[in-house]
Amino acid sequence: MSAHGDMIKVTDGIERVVHWILAGSCLFCLITGIGFMYHSWSFIATFLGGPYAMKWMHIFSGLAFAASFVYSFFMWKKDCQFEPQDLQWVLKGGGYLWSVKDLPPVYKYNAGQKAFFWILVACAIVIIASGVVMLNPLYYPVVMARFAYMLHAGAVVLLGAFIVVHIYLGTAGNPGTVSAMLTGYVSRAWCETHCPRWLADRDSWKPGGEKDVA
Amino acid sequence: MAEYIKLIDVTKCTGCRGCQVACKQWNSLPAVDTMFTGSLQNPKDLNYNTWCLIRFDEVEKDGKLNWLMRHDACMHCETPACAKACPSPGALTKNENGSVVHNPAYCIGCRSCIVACPFDIPRNDKALEKMAKCSLCHDRIDDGKKPACVTACPTGCLTFGTKEEMLKAAEKRAEKVKGVIYPANPHYETHVMYILPGTVGVEDFSHMNPHPKMPATLYWWKNLFKPFTLIGIAGVAGAAFLHYIIKGPHRVHEKKEGGE
Repeated sequence: MSAHGDMIKVTDGIERVVHWILAGSCLFCLITGIGFMYHSWSFIATFLGGPYAMKWMHIFSGLAFAASFVYSFFMWKKDCQFEPQDLQWVLKGGGYLWSVKDLPPVYKYNAGQKAFFWILVACAIVIIASGVVMLNPLYYPVVMARFAYMLHAGAVVLLGAFIVVHIYLGTAGNPGTVSAMLTGYVSRAWCETHCPRWLADRDSWKPGGEKDVA
Repeated sequence: MAEYIKLIDVTKCTGCRGCQVACKQWNSLPAVDTMFTGSLQNPKDLNYNTWCLIRFDEVEKDGKLNWLMRHDACMHCETPACAKACPSPGALTKNENGSVVHNPAYCIGCRSCIVACPFDIPRNDKALEKMAKCSLCHDRIDDGKKPACVTACPTGCLTFGTKEEMLKAAEKRAEKVKGVIYPANPHYETHVMYILPGTVGVEDFSHMNPHPKMPATLYWWKNLFKPFTLIGIAGVAGAAFLHYIIKGPHRVHEKKEGGE
């Protein structure tokens, strides 16, 4: 038994730090971006020292987002490969939308989490690539620069909506989950519900479950 | 306040560049060192310190050489793409008198206006991180004067007046010289109009967009993605709340797999 009692470590320190750099920079970019997009919300810029200051904050936050995104892509892509039983999980709504009896047992992440990861990957690539063009739009052909502005905004429509889903399912929608990204530990019962196959695997690695396998 | 139009009768331009000089003088724009590049074109292009420019073109048509001179500056669109793209309130505003005016105090140097403009008019001042372009001398208009370029023009190529007046004058003049009114597209309204000689086409003039229109990408960005960013976030947040109060959170039960 570790100091955490019968709690199970599901994320390591690096994962949590990278997650919060990614999440924090993403939310900051979203809020400042909304401040740029809607003139009626320009009070956001007022709080941050004016639109010029906010432009550079948006850029530097974007760089943090890009760096943490690249790291997290290589960190999580293996855990987020789809497998055949994910389809069954999706067809049953993951047990979120209606009552489900025999949900296929999930390994580390369920199909919804994997889908969120790949949507993040797609949106982040579009947002970062278009953001690089927007950093020096006059260096590129005008059609390319125009598409960059459009795609930058378009990808945010998708990502913004999915971030809200992600926040809800990580907090209020799944009580006991948020600690995975705070302390790194969740209860054994949580694991049995959300990642039973991974838990069985983990227990087989080291009986007693004290080995740090995240 | 009346709506004004600057009419540029290209058939009367002699390429004296009086407008270029008057523009610099009124707007306190510094001169630039230039080099001879084989033609009368000088300076080569618009710049943050050159808001209007005579463009010289030599075009051969039907065995005849046409020496073209055209006053090039901001077209002051009725629905300006630059102002639509601008993220900073007050940096680019469309006025009742028809002018589209930039305010450097609010400009953040993002250059989205430069990318959006269908006429490629705004220019970037790298050192100041500000855009700059012709303002139709809106300060002079407010004072009952004509723009500096119009005042300086010695041949009557540049004229300035109310919208009704100028539209009538343009039609009359175009008919007389068998010229073409630009922009021809009635769906694209501007507060600067050209009368081009009928002997050449719009495409014979350099740096002239034959089919000016708001970029489609800008339309998708501002008319579709912009509202849907908040609609998406608010809609999904509402759906999450409904899920919470109707279906309830996905609670964990001891010794039980899957959902409820």
